[in-house]
Amino acid sequence: MKDSLRHFSPQAHVPVDAPTGGLAPIGAPLLEARNIVKRYGSFVALDDMNFFIGRAEVVALLGDNGAGKSTLVKMMSGINPPTSGEIFVNGKRTELNSRAASERAGIETIYQDIALVDAMSITRNIFMGREITTRLGFLDLRRMEEVAVEILGSAVQISGIDNPRKEVGFLSGGQKQAVAIARAVYFKRNILLLDEPTSALSVRETEHLLGYVRELKSDGTSSVLVTHNLYHAYMVCDRFVVMSHGTKVFEAAKQDTSIEELTDHVIRT
Amino acid sequence: MSLSHAEHIRQAVAAHNARPIPVKLADWVRTSPEGGIAVLFMVVQIACIAGGLLFPDSFRYLLQANIAVTLKSIAPLGLMALGVGVLMIAGEYDLSVGALYSFLSIVAATVANSLNGDIGGDHPSWAAPFIGLALALVLGGLIGCVHSAITLRFNIPSFITTLGGMLLWKGATLLYHGASSLRFKPSEPFATIFGGEYGVIHASIVWFAIFAVAFYLLLHRHRLGNHFYAVGGNRNAAVAIGIKPNRTKTIAFAIAGFMAAFSGVVAATRVGSIQPGGGLGMELQAIAACVIGGAALTGGRGSILGVVLGTALVFTIQDILLLLRAPGFYFDMFVGTLIVVAVIMNTAIRRSRA
Ligand SMILES: Nc1ncnc2c1ncn2[C@@H]1O[C@H](COP(=O)(O)OP(=O)(O)O)[C@@H](O)[C@H]1O
Ligand SMILES: [Mg+2]
Repeated sequence: MKDSLRHFSPQAHVPVDAPTGGLAPIGAPLLEARNIVKRYGSFVALDDMNFFIGRAEVVALLGDNGAGKSTLVKMMSGINPPTSGEIFVNGKRTELNSRAASERAGIETIYQDIALVDAMSITRNIFMGREITTRLGFLDLRRMEEVAVEILGSAVQISGIDNPRKEVGFLSGGQKQAVAIARAVYFKRNILLLDEPTSALSVRETEHLLGYVRELKSDGTSSVLVTHNLYHAYMVCDRFVVMSHGTKVFEAAKQDTSIEELTDHVIRT
Repeated sequence: MSLSHAEHIRQAVAAHNARPIPVKLADWVRTSPEGGIAVLFMVVQIACIAGGLLFPDSFRYLLQANIAVTLKSIAPLGLMALGVGVLMIAGEYDLSVGALYSFLSIVAATVANSLNGDIGGDHPSWAAPFIGLALALVLGGLIGCVHSAITLRFNIPSFITTLGGMLLWKGATLLYHGASSLRFKPSEPFATIFGGEYGVIHASIVWFAIFAVAFYLLLHRHRLGNHFYAVGGNRNAAVAIGIKPNRTKTIAFAIAGFMAAFSGVVAATRVGSIQPGGGLGMELQAIAACVIGGAALTGGRGSILGVVLGTALVFTIQDILLLLRAPGFYFDMFVGTLIVVAVIMNTAIRRSRA
């Protein structure tokens, strides 16, 4: 198993079917986390974790519940800084110790717990913290609503959402998840982190989202997909990272592994 | 699917916006907490006007003097409730606003009086009361920041911090001034700006209107207001998206303290004197007005229109009881009942929409 880890130094990494011309990973990966430790009191949630995201690459982050996947995702999102370890963005040492810092690195996240405010409208949720404003910070509500309609209509086509002024609290679980997805998709730049994004989606919506992740890749945007569905992961991802007890226990590129092998590693650990 | 999804939503939005006004109104009443309270308010007003017309001698609701007195007395509680409401929406409480109302109006008055701002003095200073007011407002904001810092630094409920604050500032009032009442008859133009009268319109109600509009713009039309709702509605979501909850809450605490100070000075200007215990109990009335107007105790819900209507309803009830010469304890009983009924109504509205 150690062998399978060693030949995955990020420098040597070439993403599977990377777009030809220009976007090949010359040099440093988009984002790299080295020797990450995260403690909650005495509990160690991430234990010497190493992880990287290449250019125009879709990475699967797999592992049982409690393995530390969400902890790692939140760390890259800037809302859960590591206890120790180093993070590099485009090869440059960077502290991702605030959401703003992570946003500067072009990272956008669909959180596992959705991160929406029930008492606010869909539009206001989409633009929460990133409102479109006129002078002096007053909201440009009309513009916000226009854009919201545009986003809702394009990213993941959500069944049954016909009023962007509706309070999020009155949406179904799947619709809420779709709003969270639409928001992240709209604001993402270089990297989209998806933490179990399809858990409440219908088959059609899931297909749509996974297809979208592939589309992003061809536009040069990288993604990290956290999921328990290995078939979904295998369908869209270029590389697979399996975590257990806060650290990496298996890593393989798509052409070097199979669903059976991945299943084995996820179950065994 | 012949229509694009976005086009489909756009058409639905257009249809929604094109509803006839009566339908819009009915939807608003049915679905928003302040809609329900608006109806209740209208019903009470119509009943009172009918009563006033039918029994002009025994129920003097429509008498100009009665209208003037009611309009005069609304502002202090209303101004306080605006600040308390914003803080509740941001997910925190301030039980100290009643004590601050007394303490800071006394600070303003003593400063103004010591700078020769009393209208009875020789060549009174026009600036002195303004200096007193400015000091009280700044102190109110700072005290709010202190409440916030303690609440957030030690991660304790603001209910506890400001309960402590209430007792502390009540004691500070007695320490600073004693238990006697304090004269506050400010010089011009302060007296007219904050205590003038034009027919039934008192300056204080004008200030209440100005602040209500300003708070409406802040809460419902400004980025900061959006952050208040986000932080109060789901703190974790707000953090996940990059809103700084502590900064946002601190601003809300400062607003509550600021408004307590302003409301205290406005009330003192109208009455002409300050009772050191005058603000006690007002914090609960302010919270009651907000809750009646649809603010949730758990934060994240509420509106400025709701706060205004809640305050107005509380005062209408008080007025009715005074006109009926009912003993004072009836007021508490009615407001108490109203709070419970309002929350039952709001909860039912929310459930029916889910
Ligand atoms: N805020 C926290 N405080 C304490 N323990 C936490 C906290 N967040 C996560 N954990 C623990 O860290 C471990 C990893 O959690 P998580 O990253 O959510 O796992 P996964 O997403 O892989 O299911 C779990 O055992 C969880 O209980
Ligand atoms: Mg998780």
